[in-house]
Amino acid sequence: MQQALTRKLESFEPLSDQARWALNGLVLKVRQVGARQDLIQEGDKPDNVLLILDGFACRYKVLPDGQRQIMALLVPGDFCDLNVFILDEMDHTIGTISTCQIVDIPRQAIDDIAAHHPSIARAFWWCSLVDGAVLREWLVNMGARAPDQRISHLLCELLMRLEAVGRVTDNSYAFPLTQTEIAETMGLSDVHVNRTLRELRALGLIHLKRRVLTILDVERLKAFCSFTPNYLHLRSTRWGDRRDLSWPGRAQEG
Amino acid sequence: MSGRGNVETLLVLQLQPIAVDTNSPDREGMLVIANGLLVAVLVRLEGPEHDDRGSWFMEAGFGRLQGQRVPTFPTLEEATRWLRRHLKAA
Repeated sequence: MQQALTRKLESFEPLSDQARWALNGLVLKVRQVGARQDLIQEGDKPDNVLLILDGFACRYKVLPDGQRQIMALLVPGDFCDLNVFILDEMDHTIGTISTCQIVDIPRQAIDDIAAHHPSIARAFWWCSLVDGAVLREWLVNMGARAPDQRISHLLCELLMRLEAVGRVTDNSYAFPLTQTEIAETMGLSDVHVNRTLRELRALGLIHLKRRVLTILDVERLKAFCSFTPNYLHLRSTRWGDRRDLSWPGRAQEG
Repeated sequence: MSGRGNVETLLVLQLQPIAVDTNSPDREGMLVIANGLLVAVLVRLEGPEHDDRGSWFMEAGFGRLQGQRVPTFPTLEEATRWLRRHLKAA
């Protein structure tokens, strides 16, 4: 699984041979986690950095009245808690949405390797900065876009992020979220999610069946929600030639 | 008869049918008026996309009901019972 980690980091930053050798020396554990299980809870001490190899997970918080808000979706290739491994405790919970394959990278190992290899530290920064950029875009999405454009924007974003890790075929991808989970992600009621998905179907923009989402007209859907992928920073202008966008592992769904 | 305590707890709810444009097949609605003030608009879910067709959904809430994420209700009676409880709670 070192290969997966190396590839993930190299998509952000070219790594020296020494850095790659150091990554190969890490002892990593892969485990399978069932759908809708918490990986780490608010208040826990984050000992490991989690990398998703397969499946969907999310960051969420639950309010005292039981209402859940999902703040981020994590897809193959995403680190779950890179942004808090320096901190003492989790300020939110991370849970799976579908069955996931997870790699645990010990926090100490990350600290050591980043201290000795500036290119790896830089790649970690890049990951965190992109996470922050996505979160900013989600704030704009929640605060300023109408429900139909808001959901369209999420679907376009997932298309781009999943395409970057080889999980899209003919503009279709596994979409394991229930309507309630979409509602919890988008700050909408289940009823509004149902109506909006119906409208997007009626407009001929999407098709959603058996948890597989197909975007029927990508350009039209992007135009519909004014989607601009700059915040995903998928292409580095400095070392774009070196980027390898393929991702190991197989999709289990879709 | 009209002691102060009674006046404070008295809550008269009236329902008044209204057609609502929800940009969907859900259009049969009810204005909910509490002591003469509009507090909510309920809409019956008719669209085939809903798992709970026939249920009532609070399409809009005003005053202290504004912005609340509310479950759907199988009957109008259950919806008004929930509304009554939440209007009295404040």
